[in-house]
Amino acid sequence: MADSPVTKHDPKGSDLLESPSPQQQKQMESAYANMRRKMAMQEIGRKIKHKIMVLSGKGGVGKSTVSTGLALSLAQQGHTVGILDIDITGPNVPKMMGLDGKRLHVEQGRIHPAQGHLGVKVISMAFLLEDEDTPVVWRGPIKLGAIQQFIGDVEWGQLDYLVIDFPPGTSDEPLTVAQSLPDIDGMVIVTTPQDVALLDSRKSITFSESLKVPVLGVVENMSGYTIAGLTTPETSVEVAGPGGKKHRVTSDKDGKFSVTLDIFKQGGGKSTAEEFGVPFLGELPFDPGFVRGGDDGVHRIVSEPDGASAIAFAKVVEAIKSQIGTSSSQGLEII
Amino acid sequence: MSEIPQLIRLERNDTDMDLSYADGSKFTVTYDDLRFTCPCAKCSPERNDDESAKSLRREVESLPAEKPKVRTIGKYALAFDWVKGCSAGIYRFERLWALANGQDPDGGKPYVHGAW
Repeated sequence: MADSPVTKHDPKGSDLLESPSPQQQKQMESAYANMRRKMAMQEIGRKIKHKIMVLSGKGGVGKSTVSTGLALSLAQQGHTVGILDIDITGPNVPKMMGLDGKRLHVEQGRIHPAQGHLGVKVISMAFLLEDEDTPVVWRGPIKLGAIQQFIGDVEWGQLDYLVIDFPPGTSDEPLTVAQSLPDIDGMVIVTTPQDVALLDSRKSITFSESLKVPVLGVVENMSGYTIAGLTTPETSVEVAGPGGKKHRVTSDKDGKFSVTLDIFKQGGGKSTAEEFGVPFLGELPFDPGFVRGGDDGVHRIVSEPDGASAIAFAKVVEAIKSQIGTSSSQGLEII
Repeated sequence: MSEIPQLIRLERNDTDMDLSYADGSKFTVTYDDLRFTCPCAKCSPERNDDESAKSLRREVESLPAEKPKVRTIGKYALAFDWVKGCSAGIYRFERLWALANGQDPDGGKPYVHGAW
């Protein structure tokens, strides 16, 4: 029987019968969880049709506002959408989506996202914090683990689009996501028309090239602030803008006039996009309603679905969709 | 970005590739030239001065000959995956057009904004 493939169970002699130590047990469980997570990440690649990363080099340019705006605009157009708020230390997407104080539902080891306005599914670190004033002080490896859990352990279901909102900069978070999540369509770089923000946006563009994730384009946020007024019909009106720059407009036959003031500079996002040869996706207006909406949990797109900001977002979404489509590569024969 | 004709065919040979454009123009670009002009953040600064550029050229030329896998990137670029050497660069169609026409794809500008 020496060559028999059948072995007999020996209850006394085999090392295999020794039960694993608690440490070995823990390692096995961890390895199993990692394997399951990796399989889940592959599954996510199939279930989620498009994955879009939203980045900026500089903080305060309105990334979360743009991420939520893109998600809501896509949902408004009838798509099933999710937002993954990867900003571990400053998560604020839930507040903007009217989900402040909500908790996540966990079932059979899978995390189920909360549902915000227009059915947009949301996952954020904010859901896991005991209170919003508690800071998250984590070093890189712990952040990495949390991000991988957010990707692999979440039951997103079938989605047309997953929008991933990042903290500013080009460090751990986008790197981890780019390496963990398969088939990312590309990055949207958010900037404001000021030199410091533009310089950092350029870094994000080169960063994306290093990660082999394409740049879908640059969005210029806080691009211009439009004021409107009423005066005598067909009268010339002079408005002093930032820096004393004078703007002259003529009111219409009802006496209405409007002027768009460049709070920062003008066209910087477009010129950065041109300089790097990446698409310019459009401009989003400076809209104080975003601040109020963010604080109240009712996004501008929800409160004013036909407003100027919602229209601007819809244009950016169209530009992103046309980038995701491969029409320019259609007809390209590669042999 | 200036208008360029649409790339309609890319044929990979052993050491170079043939590019055919919608306006009827045809070009051959060697893989050595393609890899030397890699636009990634690691390779680009190497072309900033003559000495490191020569070193990059030698490095590229010493790589074994291979046909790359070609991927389309969105609407605007191609990426080339090599078994050995750098595969990080995303080549915009404008860049390939410049290369095909024997122009400097960097437009004579040094690489400045490195993320690393």
